[in-house]
Amino acid sequence: MRVVLVDDHDLFRAGVRAQLGGDVEIVGEASSVADAVQLIKSLDPDVVLLDVHLGDGSGDAVIVQVAPERPGVKFLALSVSDAPEDVIAVIRAGARGYVTKAISGDELTDAVQRVADGDAVFSPRLAGFVLDAFRTGEATAVDPELDQLTAREREVLQLIARGYRYKEIAARLHLSPRTVESHVSAVLRKLQLTSRHELTRWAADRRLI
Amino acid sequence: MRIPQVERTRDEAVAAGVCAGIARTLSVDPTFVRLVFALLTFASGAGIVAYVGAWALLPVPGESEPSGRRRVVGIVLLVWSAILATGGLGLSNSVLLPLLVASAGVVLLRRESRLIGLALIVIGIVIFVSNNTRGSATTLLAPGAVAVALIVAGPWAWRLANERARAEERAELAARVHDSVLQTLTLIQKDPSDARRLARRQERELRSWLYPSIASGTLVDAVDRAAAEIEELHGVRVEVVHTGDAPLEERTQALVLAAREAMANAARHSGADEISVFVEPAAVYVRDRGHGFDPEAVAADRRGLSESIRGRMERVGGTAKITTAPGEGTEVELCL
Repeated sequence: MRVVLVDDHDLFRAGVRAQLGGDVEIVGEASSVADAVQLIKSLDPDVVLLDVHLGDGSGDAVIVQVAPERPGVKFLALSVSDAPEDVIAVIRAGARGYVTKAISGDELTDAVQRVADGDAVFSPRLAGFVLDAFRTGEATAVDPELDQLTAREREVLQLIARGYRYKEIAARLHLSPRTVESHVSAVLRKLQLTSRHELTRWAADRRLI
Repeated sequence: MRIPQVERTRDEAVAAGVCAGIARTLSVDPTFVRLVFALLTFASGAGIVAYVGAWALLPVPGESEPSGRRRVVGIVLLVWSAILATGGLGLSNSVLLPLLVASAGVVLLRRESRLIGLALIVIGIVIFVSNNTRGSATTLLAPGAVAVALIVAGPWAWRLANERARAEERAELAARVHDSVLQTLTLIQKDPSDARRLARRQERELRSWLYPSIASGTLVDAVDRAAAEIEELHGVRVEVVHTGDAPLEERTQALVLAAREAMANAARHSGADEISVFVEPAAVYVRDRGHGFDPEAVAADRRGLSESIRGRMERVGGTAKITTAPGEGTEVELCL
């Protein structure tokens, strides 16, 4: 699996390189938005590990510039940021998941693998942010299909936030792991497509827009 | 600050496009500007003089700039119209002349010719005082002097204050980095055995400084602090995730204390090096992936679970549910 690593800290890139195992191969590294865009377009990797903050801009700028030309490239956001607006911005731009940098090497390898397979990767923190963003508000939505989470999706997200893994969630809710994954993917899609009034206000409260 | 460029415009012109151009710059209706010029005409014809002056002075986009002589004529006409207009409004020359001299001084002051500028301001004030020797003069002079002082000293004071604020910010940042990060790094170099705990503590401290929680004294805030204490005491990592928040009162206080006990248990007995805590407005979940235990086998004299967690929750009308099995990790669900 070919991976490009985008982060503006040399030390951190070295750490990730040393930790990633399995059949993950780091084919390129970039430390700025401009370099990353060029590198990803020329290398066409399977997965890009993308820091939310870069020296000359933010991670979502990379996705916005690359995605139209390279729709096959999957992005996994990786950050120390505790600021929900940063994380939601990069997810809304099209990242397939978000993990904190404190993640262990094995878990990161697993997350990269899952993103490459087309799954969404939710860490507890991201699940918390998304639940917050989709907080039950008044139903003023234009497109209720998109703008609300189903009870099941909410339940799955809550378990992720509580620290459960997909397999454990499946066992607990008597679902197949595949079904749990499809719920999670649906939540991600809603987050990326939704024009939800509530989400807009949530973002505005955090000066995201 | 950049002074907006006024240009005459041919598009909406009635005569030479002066009023329309000014209106465009000010984003107002041209009719309004024309009305002002018309009214000024009643002040000894100031409106007409001003119009001709502006016609001479203002450039038309796409045409050559007005020549130097034409500009001088324009400025003279505008000043003349101002004198006419103020005369017409009842202001005497004894106010106008010193004002003009002082204004010229201010303009020069903000360029490089400070001495000449200062001299002109002083001359303006002197003329003003000598022209208005009666008692009313001082009442007029005071606000004028204040205004001049503000125009002159304002930008300078502003810049100074800004620079000072930036310097203070830098100093505070340097002090913060020195007291925390550098100290921690020094400690780790001296004795690497405790690096993990020290690094984690430093991380938490830095985070709470960089991303201060929105409210203090709330449920999330209290759980965060409890988590920090557990990390500090037991050297495990406690990740707190939350959605929503609640004020701290008797019941949420009990929730926090029960959650703290659950975290302490997980840190002491589970063997896991990370604990996940999830906070909702009326519930806290404490999860570890350690070796779990058999709830039946917990000795009856171990008061932590029964008293500090269950009893505490039940007394405030809440529930505590423990899900665990040997090898499966443990989750404590605390709900109000």
